[in-house]
Amino acid sequence: MSGEGLVDAERRRFNAIALAPSLIVLFVIAGLPAIYLVVTSLTPFQLVNPGSSTDFSSPLRNYLLLPGDPRFVNSLWVQAKLSFWGVLLQVLLGMLLALLLHTQSRVVEFARTLFLIPMVLPPIVVAIIWKLIYTPDISPLYYAAGLLNVTMPSLTSSVDFALTAIIIADTWEWMPFTFLMVLAALQTIPEEFSEAALVDGANRLQIFFYITLPFITPILVISGMFRLIDSVKAFPLVFLLTGGGPGSVTEVTNYYAYLLAFDFNEIGYSSSVTIVMLLLVVAVSLGVVWMGRRREAMA
Amino acid sequence: MSGPVRRSASPRRLVAIGVTLIMLLSPFLWLLQMSFKSNDLILQFPPPLIFTPTLQNYASLWQGAFAASFVNSLMSASFSTALALVLGVPAAYALSRWAGRGKHALSFAILVTRMAPPIAFTIPFFLFYRWIGLLDTVTGLVLVYTSFNLPLVIWMMQPFFETVPSSLEEAALVDGASTRVVFLQIVLPMVAPGIAATAILCFLYAWNDFFFALILTRTNARTAPVAVVNFMNYEGWEWGKIAAGGSLVMAPVLIFSLAVRRYLVSGLTAGAVKG
Repeated sequence: MSGEGLVDAERRRFNAIALAPSLIVLFVIAGLPAIYLVVTSLTPFQLVNPGSSTDFSSPLRNYLLLPGDPRFVNSLWVQAKLSFWGVLLQVLLGMLLALLLHTQSRVVEFARTLFLIPMVLPPIVVAIIWKLIYTPDISPLYYAAGLLNVTMPSLTSSVDFALTAIIIADTWEWMPFTFLMVLAALQTIPEEFSEAALVDGANRLQIFFYITLPFITPILVISGMFRLIDSVKAFPLVFLLTGGGPGSVTEVTNYYAYLLAFDFNEIGYSSSVTIVMLLLVVAVSLGVVWMGRRREAMA
Repeated sequence: MSGPVRRSASPRRLVAIGVTLIMLLSPFLWLLQMSFKSNDLILQFPPPLIFTPTLQNYASLWQGAFAASFVNSLMSASFSTALALVLGVPAAYALSRWAGRGKHALSFAILVTRMAPPIAFTIPFFLFYRWIGLLDTVTGLVLVYTSFNLPLVIWMMQPFFETVPSSLEEAALVDGASTRVVFLQIVLPMVAPGIAATAILCFLYAWNDFFFALILTRTNARTAPVAVVNFMNYEGWEWGKIAAGGSLVMAPVLIFSLAVRRYLVSGLTAGAVKG
C-alpha cells in the first residue's frame, strides 16, 4: 500500500513538473496579452500621447463610441457578407467535390492530395496568386475576356465587385478544408444503406437526399462553423488585393482594427474593436464545442 | 474488402475529376510558370505555350536582401517549433494521463488561443516589444509564434500518448523505474511519428505567418512573406521576382504538408473535435 502511495506521489510530482512550464509560458504569452488588451481598451491610449495609456477617467468611452462609428458598423456588415458567402460557397463546393472524389481508385487517391494545395499554401501566397489573376496587364482572365470581346472592369477596384473578388479567392483557398471533412464523413456511411435503397428502386438523387445528406449534415454544419470562425482571419487577402477599398467596401473589422492601431495610432480604441471581435469569435467557438460534444454523445 | 464491390471510378468520373483539378489548380500553376519567365515574356499575350525557362528571377532574389529574410523565416519557424515541442510534449503527456475535470476548460482555452484573430495578440505584443526592445528581432517572432504553437502541441500530442498501452508503463514502474525514465525511454520513442507530424505542423503555421511579421518586424528580422510583399510596394512591379519569391515561400510548405496531410484537419480544428 505504501509502495502504491509512493508511486502516486512520484507521478503527481512528475505531472506538476511537466505541466508547470507550459502553463506559465502560456500565461505569460497568451494570458497577460489578453488581460493587457482588455485594460488598454478602457483607455484613450494613443501612441503619440504616452500619458493616455493609464488614463482610466472614462473607461467605457471606447465602447460607447463603437455603435456610433459608421466605419465600425460598416466593417461588421462587410465581415458578415464575406463570412456568409464564403462559408456557404465553401461548404457547398467542398461537398460537391467530396461527392465527386468519393470513389475507390489509386489515381483518385493521389488526386485528393493535389486538391489540398490551395489550403496549405501560405495565405500571403494565395493573395499574391489572386493579385496576379486580378491585375489586367498580366492576367490570363482579362486576356480570355478580351478574346471574347468582353470588357471586364478592374475587379478589385470596383465598388460592385471588390468584395466578390475577395470571396472568390477565399473560397478557392478554403474549399479543400470542407472537402476533406465531408470526404471523411462520406467514408463512414455504411454501404449497406445505399445498397438496400438501390434494391428498393431508389435513384441516385433520392439516395443523396434521403441517406447521404442526413448523414453528413452534422459535418457540414461543423466545418461551416470552423470556416466561420476563421473567416475573421482573411487579412492577407484584404491587405494585398484591395487594402480595404474602394472606399471601405472591403474593410472587414479585422482590417479596421489594424488600421486604427498601426495607421492612426489609436491603440485604445482599436483594442475595444478587437475585444468585440474576440467576443464574437468566442461565442461561435462555444457553439462549435457544444455541437462537437453533442455529436460525440450521439455517436 | 468486405461486402459487394464498391462502385469504382468510371471513366466519366475520372475525366470530371481531371478537369476540375486542372481548373482548380490553374491559378497556382499560373504563378509557378510566371516565376520562370522574364518580365517581357510575362507581359506577352497570348502566352507562349513553349518558352525557354529562365532562373534569372530566382538568381536576382538570391543576390538581394531576400536571402536574409528567407533565413529569418527559417530561424523563427524552427526555433518556435523547438520551443513549443520542448515545453508542450511533456505537458501533453501529463494531461493524457490525467483524468481531472480541468481538461474541458483547458481544451476550450486552447481553442480560444488558436481561434483568436491575430490582431488580439499583436497590439499587446507590439507595445511590450517596443518597450523592451524586441521589435524587429527573431527572438520576438519566436515568442509570438510560440503563443499559437504551444497550444497546438499540447492538443495534438495527447491522442498519440493515449495510444501507448499503460501496461507497458506500469511494468516499468513496478520494476522501479521513475516516471521520468518511463517517459523519456519508453513512451517518447513510441510517439516519435506523432512528434514529427506535430513539429511539421508547427513549422508550417509559423512559416505561413504574415500578419505578426508585418507588424513586429522592420528590416533586420523581416521574414520571407513580408519581403515578397515589399517587392510590390517599393521596388516597382517586378512580377517575375514576385512570382519567384512566392514560389520560394510556398516550396517548403508544399513538400512538408503532403507528408502530414493526415493531420491537417486535426491541426485546423484543434480544441473542438477529438483528434
